Amino acid sequence: MTVAARSWDRLNLLGKALVVVVPLLVVLTFGAILAAILVLPIVVNAAAANLPIVRFFIAVTAILLVTIPTAFIVGYLELKVLAFMQTRIGPDRTSPFGTLQAVFHGFKMLIKEDFLPTRADAVVFTWAPVVVFLASIMTFLVVPFAPGLYGQDMNIGLLYVFAVGGLTVVGLLMGGWSSFNKYSLLGGLRSAAQMVSYEIPLTLSVVGLILLAGSMSLVTLVEHQSGSFLDWYVWQQPLGALIFAVAATAEANRAPFDLTEADSEIVAGFATEYSGMRFGFFYFAEYVNVFIISALFVTFFLGGWTAPFDWPWPLSGDIDPGQLGIGLLLAALVIPLIGTLLFAAPFAVSRRRMPLWQALLIGFALFNVVAVATIFLWAFVAFEWVVGLFWFMGKTYTLVFIFIWLRGTLPRVRIDQLMGFAWKWLLPVALINLFVTAAALVVAGR
Amino acid sequence: MTMIPGLGIVKGMALTLRRFFEPKATIRYPEVVADIPPRFRGRLQLLYDEYGNLKCETCFQCAQACPIECIDMGGFDTKGRYHVHWGAAETYGERREESALRRSGRPVPDESYSHFAAIDTAAIDRILEEHDHDPARMLEILEATQDAYGYLPVAAMKRISFATGAWYAQIYGTATSYDHLRFSEANEAAADDYVAALGGSLTGTPAERSRLH
Repeated sequence: MTVAARSWDRLNLLGKALVVVVPLLVVLTFGAILAAILVLPIVVNAAAANLPIVRFFIAVTAILLVTIPTAFIVGYLELKVLAFMQTRIGPDRTSPFGTLQAVFHGFKMLIKEDFLPTRADAVVFTWAPVVVFLASIMTFLVVPFAPGLYGQDMNIGLLYVFAVGGLTVVGLLMGGWSSFNKYSLLGGLRSAAQMVSYEIPLTLSVVGLILLAGSMSLVTLVEHQSGSFLDWYVWQQPLGALIFAVAATAEANRAPFDLTEADSEIVAGFATEYSGMRFGFFYFAEYVNVFIISALFVTFFLGGWTAPFDWPWPLSGDIDPGQLGIGLLLAALVIPLIGTLLFAAPFAVSRRRMPLWQALLIGFALFNVVAVATIFLWAFVAFEWVVGLFWFMGKTYTLVFIFIWLRGTLPRVRIDQLMGFAWKWLLPVALINLFVTAAALVVAGR
Repeated sequence: MTMIPGLGIVKGMALTLRRFFEPKATIRYPEVVADIPPRFRGRLQLLYDEYGNLKCETCFQCAQACPIECIDMGGFDTKGRYHVHWGAAETYGERREESALRRSGRPVPDESYSHFAAIDTAAIDRILEEHDHDPARMLEILEATQDAYGYLPVAAMKRISFATGAWYAQIYGTATSYDHLRFSEANEAAADDYVAALGGSLTGTPAERSRLH
């Protein structure tokens, strides 16, 4: 037994951990500093030289990350709002008010068997959910969340949205065909027929916007609508907005047009043979789709990130914490302490029975609430994009609520009603809307 | 009003929005216990005694008391007369087919007749005619039926129930409360064996003998 081995044996658990962790930390720290000195300038220069590519990759990563909480929030809203409309309470067991229910649904999907039907086309079967999922989230890339906060400002953004959104149908057909199940195939064909039919009025309904704005860039569309809520395109294109809402509902396979996977009637349509996380991805895509159609409606017709009215009390945004310099660091150390003691004091004084640690805990919680609120207020005042994001998210989630509300109210339509409505009503009305818009523009001489 | 397109959608949306703000019907069970009526017994079930026999004696009192006639019985009891089971007709093996037929809209053969020994209904029809199909004269009808068939066949009692309008449960209850009415054929040899087993030479009137059967 060597000296080193004997010394190692004499150490207790904490000692062993320290012996491992401390040298590792030292090495990592020095490595990080060295890397920062030697490699960082090269990386920064390379990134600065290829800014569009870097921006693209960052945008893609951010969008992939953003879709996860979005799907969870929309899924939770759906569970809860539908429950409330059926005078139920909905999920309330897994977490406070069931807020993590959708997350646990995701975990449940993960622990299920990843099933592949006999004689299914394994490659196509595996890639179908990916195609559906990607088709949904790639639309995110051009959605303008706030001034400066969007993946790419394409000059063909509108075309891109509908082109990429139309890819969903490929994924659905892939899933239906590769399952080696005639019912899955029928489900896939039904959903393909539905989505292809509604693609046409959906696209035609926004051509009027292109005529009005003279651009297909979504950012330009939003900027054209800035001002008060009277400048929103929904007042100039009410028919277009209505057609878009209906067709987008069908396009996203939402009630009352959710024949693709009519929960209460058929098994799951094209997704019959899917299980586990592959099935989960279809659902993930569906919830992201709800958000996307709401976000697109807001962008096209409800002014995007623009506020519906001017803020009546203009606040100056000149507060710059950077001016404090080293004082900021000191404040970050001292203010939480003082704040906690300050908020704990009333409880400690007025309630003698309460132990001191409880008073301190309450004080700390209160301080956190106040501090977070203050920081948000400051961000709201100081940054334009926070204001934009606030209004954009507010409008979008209101629309998400309305889509769930529709699902809680309307019964499902029949397949013949669905197709007849698209071809006999929506398409002619969309064409009329387009002609009227064009004629009005000619008459107005713009 | 109904000519306005989309009005129905608006009305429905208003309804669901009202529901959204209404108090909820859910009872959070482990924390909150529902206000249950004191005589609520939950699900009905048949109990067994310590020997593994059904405690139910097919007295039909529950069936008589049931206000919506949802309790029915069939089969044979512990004395070999009926196999007792109750509840919704769909849960019986021999009734399931019938209810399936009924749902499909086809004519339903009365399984309750074919299940038990078939009888010649001429006699029972004549007896019913003589007694004017009067359920108030049930005892006379039953006695006459027993005279005609030797005992009270289930098919006959079903027929009486059908013709008089009295519940089968009531007819069965009436029959069970009189000693001289019996549900199976008189078996003189078995009765003599029983008397011998008791160790006595019981010779009595036919009425007394009939009590033993």
